[in-house]
Amino acid sequence: MMERKVVEKEISIGPVHPALIEPYRIRLFVNDEIVEDCEININMAYRGIERLLEGLPVEKALLITERVCGICSNVHTWNSVRVVEAGLRIEVPDRANYIRVLINEIQRIASHLIFFGHAFEVLGHETFAMRSFLLREVFMDLMAYIGGNRVMPAVPVIGGIRPRADLTDSLKRVISERINDFEKKYREYVERILADSMIMSRLTGVGLLSKEDAIKYHATGPNGRASGWNYDIRTLMHEYEPFDFEVIVLNEGDNKARVVQRALEVFECLKIIRQILKNLPEGPIVNRDWIPGKMNYTISYFEAFRGELMHSCALDSQGLIRGYKIRTPTPTNLAAMERACVGDHITDAILTIASCDPCLTCCTRVEVINFDESKTMTVMDIMKKYGRR
Amino acid sequence: MELLITSLIAAIISIPYSLIIPGIERKIQARIQQRIGPPILTPGFWAVLKFYYKKDVEPIAFLSRFYKSLIWLGIFIVLFLLFFSMPSWWNILGWASILGLVGLLKLEESLYVFMGAQSQSFLSTTMPVPDLAKGAKGIGIHREFLEQHSAERAIKMMAVGSLPLYIALLVPFAIAKSAMISEVVRVQNPGFFSLAFSLPSNPILFTVPGFLATIVYFIGYVILLNEKPFSILKAKIDVIEGGVLEYAAKLRAGYYIMRNLLLFVLSSIFVTLFLGIPFDPLKPFYLIFNIILSLIMPIALSILVAFSPILTFRQIYPSAVGLSVLGALALIISILGV
Repeated sequence: MMERKVVEKEISIGPVHPALIEPYRIRLFVNDEIVEDCEININMAYRGIERLLEGLPVEKALLITERVCGICSNVHTWNSVRVVEAGLRIEVPDRANYIRVLINEIQRIASHLIFFGHAFEVLGHETFAMRSFLLREVFMDLMAYIGGNRVMPAVPVIGGIRPRADLTDSLKRVISERINDFEKKYREYVERILADSMIMSRLTGVGLLSKEDAIKYHATGPNGRASGWNYDIRTLMHEYEPFDFEVIVLNEGDNKARVVQRALEVFECLKIIRQILKNLPEGPIVNRDWIPGKMNYTISYFEAFRGELMHSCALDSQGLIRGYKIRTPTPTNLAAMERACVGDHITDAILTIASCDPCLTCCTRVEVINFDESKTMTVMDIMKKYGRR
Repeated sequence: MELLITSLIAAIISIPYSLIIPGIERKIQARIQQRIGPPILTPGFWAVLKFYYKKDVEPIAFLSRFYKSLIWLGIFIVLFLLFFSMPSWWNILGWASILGLVGLLKLEESLYVFMGAQSQSFLSTTMPVPDLAKGAKGIGIHREFLEQHSAERAIKMMAVGSLPLYIALLVPFAIAKSAMISEVVRVQNPGFFSLAFSLPSNPILFTVPGFLATIVYFIGYVILLNEKPFSILKAKIDVIEGGVLEYAAKLRAGYYIMRNLLLFVLSSIFVTLFLGIPFDPLKPFYLIFNIILSLIMPIALSILVAFSPILTFRQIYPSAVGLSVLGALALIISILGV
């Protein structure tokens, strides 16, 4: 029998709480200030995207996947496109692949910068949070220049990219100038963070997640890599083969490592962007030589900004979507977050969760509680069955 | 009669003036963060006016009337802190002494404990069903209101956090070798008692123990105001605003008055004790000098806030101990008269 820890009280934070950027609930079981156990409850904002996709024509449906998340919109479009391309064996031109990688790395930087903004806001350091949002503007603008929209650039389409997103020489020059300027400012920003002893005292040695735990709880993406787990799907993706970049792996596994890992990853993203601008091949940007038709259930894994992303679906003979499933990085990271909180102060625990960069509304899917009767239980059903507290 | 008039004038001057300070504070922070920031009068003056005219909302508290009265009690405590530092109160029963100041400050600190213990905001209400998610790790465990947790933090801050401030407060009295504020001013500015205006000839701030005590006093000032990096009892990320969470409308306006007044009064007391320029409504030059110099602490505070994260007790305890040691060193030097 598992030994139950004796805890003094429960502090319940959320789902309505000013510190939470999304509706979820954190139950902290604490002794004085020390967290003995943690439970994160999600599923407060179900939007039914998978249900929405059911039966839609594949070309139309894949635009909807971009709406799963506002921060990592491109990864959803690209991965949904990859599912169909893999299932229907559609060849993608090299130039299109390069531009897909470009927009993805631009958005990865924007995502990491929003992570810094949120993490420093949770830390209480408004200046660094504001600064991070200011730096992020460069990449929001670049996304608008390339895709026509700051948040939803909608670059990938089945077989390539939208013609709107093709790179001209002047656009390449603008991107190059902007990232050079950004790198200078960003380097100073990171150096200032690392030199700030007060911030480091909050981050160092807090929210520890060992490599074993990271693997056990499947903490993918930067969270796993900050705990010494060398796992990055980009190294397995053929789109990333032409590019030389390092997978940043740190062994400390604390909040500092998770911040530093992302900080260093941004430099690698810049390295990839420079290689794209230098070696962008000439040629077509989209392959229109395909017709929607029956496709067996196909799965595609992808290295999103927060970890491993899975999209899967099948197409019927008319090319309509059947059984679309999305697993965003956060569900696999949730257990790791709960583990990492234990043993720290309450205030640190919230920081630890923020340092794992959760995106909870994206990961919320339908929840059937009563499998036997195959129906979703209402609050009244639950109260009837389990009683009122 | 003179006592009544000076007290009234002091209240009339200090309350509106203190409402400007948050605007200055916010403007400085915004400039540091490369933002424009709000207009100077908005965070203090207009915010208070706005809340005053909002529809009254009854706070949810165990003892609602007691909870509401704490705000007005807080304003009175802070006002009396200012009064005790004023020359017209120096002869009243020895209240204008280190004991009077420390006593009132301790009362002010304890208000947050009471507020936290009373408030029961909607944000921590228990759900109507048992928590069954993931096997319900904690069924039956006492669930605490966020504000109650803030009250526990307030007790810790009372016990440890604010110690440096009290040690720093002792230093000018040790230098003056008296417990009375009048003697502290006399040591620094003998002309105050005879001339319409004279600059202090020997301000404590510019002595070694005075300088050390100033550093400690400033940090103590930050701690007492619950500002970053020592804002653990109103950390937005967990306990939100702590005990004051349930104050709305007029009560929220009252809370802002109390907080802003404390911001000014502690700074004014610093000018009185460390520079020898008291807040005296009957001597306009001293009054103006005191008011202007009182801006030093809020400005320094706003810079510190802009560059600080929230510290947890892991950092607050060692910081408080370190500062107390520094304060004790200043006290020993001042007693030895080095």
